[in-house]
Amino acid sequence: MENRYKIINSIAVNFLILVLLTLFALWMRTLDINSSWQKAGLVNMSLGFVILIAYVISKEGTRIYLPLISGYIFAGIIAGPYVSGFLTIDMVERLRLIDDLALSFIALTAGGALRLQSLKRRRTSILSNITLQVVIVFFAVFLFVRMSGKYFSITENLPAAKIVVFAILLGTIAIARSPSSAIAIISECRAAGVFVETVLGVTITIDVLIIILFTVALTVSKIFLSSSGILDASVFIILLGEMGFSILIGAILGKGISLYISRIRHDLPLFLLFIAFGVAKTSFWLTGFMEAHFNIFLHLEPLLICMSAGFFVQNFSREGPFFMESLERMALPIFVLFFSLAGASLNMTSLIACWPFALCFASVRMAGIFCSTWLAGTLSRDKAIHRKTAWMAYMTQAGVAIGLAQLAERQFPEIGVYLTTVVLAVITINQIVGPIMFKAALNIVGETGKQ
Amino acid sequence: MKIFFAFLLIIFLAFSGYHLSFRGFRLPLFARKFYLTGTEFLFLGLLLGPGFLNILDPETLMGLEPLAALLLGWIGLLFGCQFEIAKLKRYPMEFFSAAVLESLFTVVLVFCGVYAALPFFAETGEMLRISASVTLAAAAACTAQTGIVLLAPGTVRQNKKTVTLLRYISSIDGLSALLVFIAAFVIQPSFTSGLWSREVGWAALISTAACSGLLILCLLFLSRRRDESDLMLLILGMAVFTSGTALIINYSPLLVNFLIGFCLVNFSRDKERIFNILVSVEKPVYLLLLVFLGAGLHLDSFLIVFLALGYWLFRFIGKLAGGVMVTLLGPRLKEHPGLLGCGLLEQGGLAMAILFDFQQRYSCETVSLLISLAVLGIIYNEFISPHMLKQLLRREK
Repeated sequence: MENRYKIINSIAVNFLILVLLTLFALWMRTLDINSSWQKAGLVNMSLGFVILIAYVISKEGTRIYLPLISGYIFAGIIAGPYVSGFLTIDMVERLRLIDDLALSFIALTAGGALRLQSLKRRRTSILSNITLQVVIVFFAVFLFVRMSGKYFSITENLPAAKIVVFAILLGTIAIARSPSSAIAIISECRAAGVFVETVLGVTITIDVLIIILFTVALTVSKIFLSSSGILDASVFIILLGEMGFSILIGAILGKGISLYISRIRHDLPLFLLFIAFGVAKTSFWLTGFMEAHFNIFLHLEPLLICMSAGFFVQNFSREGPFFMESLERMALPIFVLFFSLAGASLNMTSLIACWPFALCFASVRMAGIFCSTWLAGTLSRDKAIHRKTAWMAYMTQAGVAIGLAQLAERQFPEIGVYLTTVVLAVITINQIVGPIMFKAALNIVGETGKQ
Repeated sequence: MKIFFAFLLIIFLAFSGYHLSFRGFRLPLFARKFYLTGTEFLFLGLLLGPGFLNILDPETLMGLEPLAALLLGWIGLLFGCQFEIAKLKRYPMEFFSAAVLESLFTVVLVFCGVYAALPFFAETGEMLRISASVTLAAAAACTAQTGIVLLAPGTVRQNKKTVTLLRYISSIDGLSALLVFIAAFVIQPSFTSGLWSREVGWAALISTAACSGLLILCLLFLSRRRDESDLMLLILGMAVFTSGTALIINYSPLLVNFLIGFCLVNFSRDKERIFNILVSVEKPVYLLLLVFLGAGLHLDSFLIVFLALGYWLFRFIGKLAGGVMVTLLGPRLKEHPGLLGCGLLEQGGLAMAILFDFQQRYSCETVSLLISLAVLGIIYNEFISPHMLKQLLRREK
């Protein structure tokens, strides 16, 4: 009885908070905002509003067993430009600064979560999962788009060659995963075990692999559309070189972080924030600078640098546990900000515009993931429960897929708009469904609370 | 891209400064005093600002305004959390009256001085003249404890009673200063002379409504015990939200958060945990504030050095006369030296925050000039106050 009273009391308090926050937001929207100081206030107020509302919604969501990040995402959707319009598209763009910082921070966590020993132990399962997921998911989506392209309004006007290119690109994008979501769910559930090790290994490796695969897909698509090109090996050599260079920088950075921990140790979260932000911004700046001044197209991958740094600290120094503990302390604000902004960026207009196609695409992708994980589980003799539930862990998709779609849009403007619309719609579905399914999968395999 | 690098740079400065400043390195007396209070960061800000290297140019500073507001909000919360009624009650009521009287006397004197002198060196509207004078007077009322805290244990032991009173007054001074500072935001320069009383009333009503709403929100959030990470998130979220709201309604993030901090420390069960979270990043926040304040300084004219001297003199007289009045108040206060004000010269962080808040809100050339001279006045005090404090305690001995 007392417990029930506490629950009702807590719901009532959270409800009051939501009402008060909404009233404040409505009030502020009625005021004239003219000076730069007031505009800065609007940015702060919106950010604070999103943080607080995401916190309250996620806490209430846990009552119906929703993962916290689903709460953050829902809050972002509600506050975002497509539902309440409290956060405008322009404002979401202005808050990208925080997004980049958070993503680099999550990449550090992702790298730190990979343990060489467990990767070695699970290598058969991880490799078979990666191979089968890449092949089966790609072909499932490719065939679906190729065969059904004429039946959906969004693709019915595209000529056959462009539908093939559309299918190749969508097939590749379907392989992309969201390591940030996986890390957030694992962190929330304090999950550990064989299943978690495999999922992390597969998700993070695919996140690296997808860059190469997408370059292949772009090159093949160009050849297909121009019908006179050849596969240029130098593109891949440069790409591998850039990735190798990013990993090397990450390793050096990792060494720097471990030295900092062993020599100075205190205020590590602040130091890591500085590193994460520095890496994200310096990589982008360096890419532009090299291109503008030396005509060199050096494309550093900030996420790969951070992942590699985290991996090196965890596996090649004694400071791994302390490093992860410090990251853990900063995790909540980072996750709240990152996922609520991700929610605000989810494009509801795209979803409304092409929901039948997006729904079918998401279903085919899901089926592809199910077949590949089941086969991989059988080949590597995983437990039956792992084989049956593994597909649920790979549904989430986020920023990487959007980035790839935008890259394709620049390369193929004639189909790019359709591609981005479909990808945004599918990500909306996967980002809503994915975390819920992953949390459920962790509960089913019994690895929750094992950290 | 510049804004990102400016952001990176100031984070780096705050981080490195946090570890290097506030430490008692063996430096010459002049440099040690300078170094201990982090004053060098003011000059660093000046160097990075539009006057010299222009890394923190006006556009970049404008882009970093959300961060500046958050800093002010955080400092406001921190100061609010230091006014725990239960702790203040441990001291006799005479101490409280002494602190209020001394600070209000300084406020009145400096206000009159600035208000009268302002038309001679700057052209301002009547409303800006009032609010600027109020701000400079409020900043003048503040007293920092740094000098008292850094006294040798032997000196403290020998002058225990006076040191206790000085500590008490310097911790209460800020309260009067902030209450006076409210006027600077209620009387806004945009108000028309004829209708000003109605406009002031409306501004006061809006800010009171907003403060009450934010306070209720904050108390609702903290009505249940939260985990450490949840509490950190909530404090961060509330600081960002309240500072943003304050800016939108043309109010001060420092004042709104001060009020919230004050209520939290007196009404929340989690006061200790909240204070620990706030204080964990106090030094980087303070150093960032100094960098921002420094970047906004305009030391173009030599005249400003003398104007600052005038401001310092008014404050000095106010503190000195206030100190004399205090020692005449009651039997317990009579036993202290008459020149008590000599121990209350150091201004410190709250004065800087008040000046920065005003500078951010009403950025124009006149305000910039006034803030610059007030900051110079603070620097003068940084150098003079240890000597005066030493003299005061030597006399008493």
